[in-house]
Amino acid sequence: MTVVDRTSEWQSAAREHSAPRPPRRQPGAAAPAVLESRLPVSVVTLIAAIGVFVASAAYTAGRMGYASSPWADRAYWLGQALVVAPVALRLLSRRSLVPSATATLIVVLTVAEYLLKICYSPLGFTFTDELLHWRGTVNLVQTGKLFTANYGLPISPRYPGLEEVTSALISVTGLPVFAAGLIVSGLAHLLFICLLYLIFSHVSQSHRVGGIAILVYSGTPTLDSFDSMFVYETLALAFLGLGVLAAWRAATGPTSGERIRWFVLALLAIFATVITHHVTSYMLVGSLVLVTVASVLSRARHTAFMVGALAIISAAAVASWVIFIAPGTLSYFRPTVEGLMQGISALQSGGSSHAPSTSAAPLGNQVLEGIAVLLITALLPLGWWRVWQRDRRQPWMLAMAIGSLGWFAALALRVGTPDGQEIAGRTATYVYIPVSFITGLALIRLVSVARVRRWDAAAIAVAVMGMLTLVFDGLANGWPPYWERLPGPHQVAGFERSVGPQEIATARWTLTALGPGNRFAADIGIYPLLTGYGDQNPLQDVGYLYTSPRYTVSIARAARAQVVQYVLVDRRLSQSLPASGTYFPGDTTGYSQPIPIADLNKFNRVRGVARVYDSGDIVIYDLQGAQDAP
Amino acid sequence: MRRNYSDIAIAEAVAILACAALLAHLPASVTIVPGLGLFAAVGYVWSEVFVSPAAGGLERAAVAIALALMVPIFGGLGLYAAGIPLHRPAWAGLLAVVTLAGAVVVLTTRRRRDEGARRKPRPRRWSAWHAAAFGAAAVIAAGAVGLAVVSANAQKYPGYTQLWLSPLQNKPLTASLGVTNEQGSTTQYRLVLRRKGRVSATWNLTLTNGQTWQRTVAITDKYSIVANLYRLPDLTHPYRNVSNGA
Repeated sequence: MTVVDRTSEWQSAAREHSAPRPPRRQPGAAAPAVLESRLPVSVVTLIAAIGVFVASAAYTAGRMGYASSPWADRAYWLGQALVVAPVALRLLSRRSLVPSATATLIVVLTVAEYLLKICYSPLGFTFTDELLHWRGTVNLVQTGKLFTANYGLPISPRYPGLEEVTSALISVTGLPVFAAGLIVSGLAHLLFICLLYLIFSHVSQSHRVGGIAILVYSGTPTLDSFDSMFVYETLALAFLGLGVLAAWRAATGPTSGERIRWFVLALLAIFATVITHHVTSYMLVGSLVLVTVASVLSRARHTAFMVGALAIISAAAVASWVIFIAPGTLSYFRPTVEGLMQGISALQSGGSSHAPSTSAAPLGNQVLEGIAVLLITALLPLGWWRVWQRDRRQPWMLAMAIGSLGWFAALALRVGTPDGQEIAGRTATYVYIPVSFITGLALIRLVSVARVRRWDAAAIAVAVMGMLTLVFDGLANGWPPYWERLPGPHQVAGFERSVGPQEIATARWTLTALGPGNRFAADIGIYPLLTGYGDQNPLQDVGYLYTSPRYTVSIARAARAQVVQYVLVDRRLSQSLPASGTYFPGDTTGYSQPIPIADLNKFNRVRGVARVYDSGDIVIYDLQGAQDAP
Repeated sequence: MRRNYSDIAIAEAVAILACAALLAHLPASVTIVPGLGLFAAVGYVWSEVFVSPAAGGLERAAVAIALALMVPIFGGLGLYAAGIPLHRPAWAGLLAVVTLAGAVVVLTTRRRRDEGARRKPRPRRWSAWHAAAFGAAAVIAAGAVGLAVVSANAQKYPGYTQLWLSPLQNKPLTASLGVTNEQGSTTQYRLVLRRKGRVSATWNLTLTNGQTWQRTVAITDKYSIVANLYRLPDLTHPYRNVSNGA
């Protein structure tokens, strides 16, 4: 089929609106040539690489003891600006840009950000969820069996796609788990972005719109963290992208043979998504349903039939997987759904949902977040107007416009429900897809308007600043959080900054000496290491074991009720407040001062409690003999 | 019209060679390239089945990578259902067989598809300057990752010493008593084991950095057993201590 490329249309529209207005062309005269850019893609790539090096140097400064230094922080942001700004400038400029150059720019942007993720933790996984999947992969490699227990994330063995791919790669290459995991997650992440670019480009019929929409999507707070980590969502997103692209091709292919091949490919992508990640498979069903509805509204019967069939099959696949393979999914999501429902009902009744503060981040981050929200909220109506004017009969455009309404639902969730910040953050990956497309349409329209074009350079500069604001907001308010923006020395009850040699050695010791699957009480800092390297079963809501000066009868009863076998005490909990805001997983207590050391040492005085391990900062107690101690 | 199947032949050759390398149990440093080639072969062959010759390069590459990632997912489930352990022979065999099957499908379907629709690659017009810029970018990016690896390895952490006394699994009256030195340099210790408060055994240890000392000792819950580790020359304050809790 012939795809009309509207990129030139944008450029000619821009030319038509330029001032002073050029004399009308004579019929048959050649169109004026679009100027070549003075910033070639190769130079953009070189500048981005320098940006990666500068940000990596900032990470190095953090590791050398300058993690709190303002200049190290500034160096990090300078590096990020060098990565993002040239790409934005090249995409937003009206100079000549061929499709391969646009594709190269988005690949450069994605690879540069992924390299920075590697530079943050270059020796091993340090983020909680990555360690959980590390454990799942090791289990599969060692046992050769699927569905083996993963204590830290019990639902993940029922969605084994990531572990299967990584295990296969490890088996046929001999690579270690970390290297194989980086390859799989990096490939999957790049694949997702490229597929998203193809979808945007096909739907808009403009590679430039596709590129700018990807640039806007780079502002997603989760994109350079959760969506590129070694976690099952990263891989499933790639399949989601292929599923949607294949659905588009199946609906618009030029021949029946091609349409059938793409339909089969869409089915494969759907099944792969279902096997790999729960939420992503639900979002894929939702996307296909949305396109079907838009097709019905725009009377595109063929698209409605094709995509509707895929939506029904995908819904059936999801339901079958949950019923027959992963019934635990329902209980896994129950607390989240219940919290959401309570929040929504509280909002409807006009009462307070007791939503927590939307952000505890520094003022600068909050201001950045506010500006980004305002920018997108202001640009969306312009994008909708553009769709209404020219493409309201195009079902995919209409679906994007309807889907972008999710932006406001996400905003309401963020401010109106308990855990709204967390849920809105995690749904951003999906909500930002239509939002970035509509915003991209608006942005390209805006910089082409006649009045704006009179100040060409200034308009582009403002647009680039806007893009930088969006991307910086995503980075600043995404992951890692501001208090561990740079790697550095150990932080109490943090995440990546709580992972060090002593913690890793302790976790490995638990597996060697105690065996797998023991029920552990531990703080949030070492928790992921115990599940990952230790293959232990750390428990939630164990703060009561640490925050009293005596081991009382009620504490002993509670510990017995939870079947706590071991208590891991990190004595550094007495030295500072928790970096993450809480000392223990599942604990909502607000701490105003560190835990007294006497509270942590009380187990030394309890009869029957064996002190089985001591590494100075970390002590492990065996509670199994303490049942009648108090 | 004469058709060109050299791409499929190359993919098959890669798959067969990779399988041979894996089954010969060659070291990991040798199997990395053929292993990656095996993944690439299966993705390429099946992308030829699904994607029209007229499709763009990015779309073809994306589909090929996605298919390469899908094969272990579906294949792994199939092998597991068949009771075959998911170890190296199973994965290698799966990828090779699926590549061969894909080649058969391509050979049968390519005849029917319009070869003329295949896009002719446009000649690249990269100047030497552009190539140099891309090359320099790759070197700088690799340098950035190298810098991160070097600095992470050089990051200074406080040294520590591990001491443990933990019952052996399946042998409840026997425990492992051990010390690991991670202080960053050779360290001298004295380990004193007390039973009912009396010294039962003493060991003078000199451990290099990363070295572990370990013994098996009898334990009971009838009386107290305490192990105190002293870091010489301080013999007054136990540096680490563990106990059986009795």
